[in-house]
Amino acid sequence: MNPYFITANDFDAFVTKMSKDKKVIGPKAKKQKFVFGEIKSADHLRLDYDVTILPPKKVFTPTCQTLVTFDGDKFEGNVDNDGVILFGVHFYDIRGIDITDLLFRENNRDVNYLAKREASTIVGSNIQNVSKRSFWGSIGTSDSGPKGHDAFLTKMDGGYVLECLTQKGEDLVKFGNWSKASAAQVSEAEKINKDVMDKCSQKLSHSSSEIAEKVRNSFDNQELWSNLAEDCFSCGSCNTVCPTCYCFDVQDKWNLNQVSGMRNRYWDSCLTEDFAKVSLGAGSEENFRETRGERFRHRIMRKATYLNEKLGTPACVGCGRCSAACTADIADPVNVINKIMEV
Amino acid sequence: MTATDYSQVAPQGNIFLPKECKIVNVKQVTELERHFTLKHADGSKVKFEPGQIMEVSLFGFGEIPIGYASSPTRENTFDIVIRTVGRVSGAVNKLNEGDSLFIRGPLGHGFPLEDLRKKDVLIVAGGIGLCPTRSLIQYITDKRSEFKRFILFYGTKDPSQQMFLDDIAKWKKANDVEYHETVDRGDSNWKGNVGVITELFKKTELSADTRVVICGPPIMFRFVVAECEKVGIKYENIYLDLERRMKCGVGKCGHCQINDKYACIDGPVFRYSDLKKLEEAL
Ligand code: SF4
Ligand code: SF4
Ligand code: FES
Repeated sequence: MNPYFITANDFDAFVTKMSKDKKVIGPKAKKQKFVFGEIKSADHLRLDYDVTILPPKKVFTPTCQTLVTFDGDKFEGNVDNDGVILFGVHFYDIRGIDITDLLFRENNRDVNYLAKREASTIVGSNIQNVSKRSFWGSIGTSDSGPKGHDAFLTKMDGGYVLECLTQKGEDLVKFGNWSKASAAQVSEAEKINKDVMDKCSQKLSHSSSEIAEKVRNSFDNQELWSNLAEDCFSCGSCNTVCPTCYCFDVQDKWNLNQVSGMRNRYWDSCLTEDFAKVSLGAGSEENFRETRGERFRHRIMRKATYLNEKLGTPACVGCGRCSAACTADIADPVNVINKIMEV
Repeated sequence: MTATDYSQVAPQGNIFLPKECKIVNVKQVTELERHFTLKHADGSKVKFEPGQIMEVSLFGFGEIPIGYASSPTRENTFDIVIRTVGRVSGAVNKLNEGDSLFIRGPLGHGFPLEDLRKKDVLIVAGGIGLCPTRSLIQYITDKRSEFKRFILFYGTKDPSQQMFLDDIAKWKKANDVEYHETVDRGDSNWKGNVGVITELFKKTELSADTRVVICGPPIMFRFVVAECEKVGIKYENIYLDLERRMKCGVGKCGHCQINDKYACIDGPVFRYSDLKKLEEAL
């Protein structure tokens, strides 16, 4: 696969042409912030974004996704395999997608996620502006770079380099006036992506493996967890905005006729009070994570230790979205983890 | 938008599609519980391991996780017991013979038959814990010669909560089933044991090599394990059938997590020695 170069002048025409051919989802401005949304022409696209409010996870795991439709006792699966081009994704969000890819593939392959995911093309882009709460620079090891993308775009003086990694990535080149990139342009792109890595103002003070071990060993420190979670509203916003949170609830909905309807899955949050609650009948119930401290601990355990072995990296990619989304300002993994490391 | 061919993406098919079953028989067994016998609507044989679970569903209401309450040795039909606790179970418990029900399963890991064969087996069932363990009880009684001693402890809150009364009558009569029962509170007709289930350990001598299966309310586990310990039974020979809030049943939705394990795919049956490392388990 080849690296390509396009001039800044030709870039807009490329984006516009591409978006005429296929549905393109990319970063756009929304008031003072940024969101992933449909890009219909180049002037929508804001590759200079720092971070989006929500990660692009909603493309493959929509907030509400119909799994099965039914009509009386007849039913059928409802699988969306309409591929999109997910364009301009920062490396930490690609890592988030890598993580959900693995989790939806392992054990039982989840076709409702994978059909659209595998039909889609992902194009990464370099980080032009660093968000205040991010700390991706201090997460993981050298081999924890993103994997699931098809091409990666880097902006530099005069234009963009596109490094194609798969045929799906290569297929995009036909939409624009791309030429082969020179060796100098390729190494310039590499340098840009390397240099940005120490631009985060927030940092974890220890390595992932040190953190994983210490956090795991702190499981029984009740006082620590209840202090950390003391101001938690159990609102679940830290889950909602997280690129690697994907838990869901399944609910049936009737159509107005009360005969047909659908079985949907909805985003769910392990920080909310009811997440692990079961009713046992006759008015009694059991909540397997009853306290705020237990729920807060579960999230941190999952981000910092539980999945590390399986993923080869922590399940937190350092985007800092939860820090920004938490009204109580207690969700920030940097504060939480650095505090745990000091205990 | 709807794709029909996704065989490349998921050769095993869509994990969220249930199969239709027909209700062959239904009995009210307690005030809240009904016992259903079902068959696959397409007539196919029923295949599962004792202790495995399924998601039972009714369209428009939703899904609930339920254990098989009969043994796979009876391959034409299978049993489930539904306790009315919410919307789905309430709707299921209004169904009658001939009606359709939908299931996804079998799911998860059941009882380790290989480890139980040629051993003394003790099953301790508290309350509705008798339903999932009945899959193993029936299996053992159907293939009785493959196991050594078979001891069964059953405890309920009071006599009205007892289920499977026909089975109980048989177990009491059978000379190759050592059946002991107790209730927390008796009533005027009750002549049997009164007290917590651990009291039943006094009724029999157990060998230290016994394999133990426990299923019941979470509070019961610790006390029963302590009794097993007194007899010298090792943690790796004790199996717990855990109930958790399950939603998807296929290791995706996150609801049933116990630390880094999923009750739905790693369990619902766990070895006690493995659970000891999971702080959230008990
Ligand atoms: S940590 Fe913050 S964002 Fe998360 S549930 Fe608690 S209050 Fe909400
Ligand atoms: S835990 Fe917070 S910082 Fe880490 S990936 Fe999730 S949202 Fe981003
Ligand atoms: S029930 Fe969904 S992960 Fe176990």
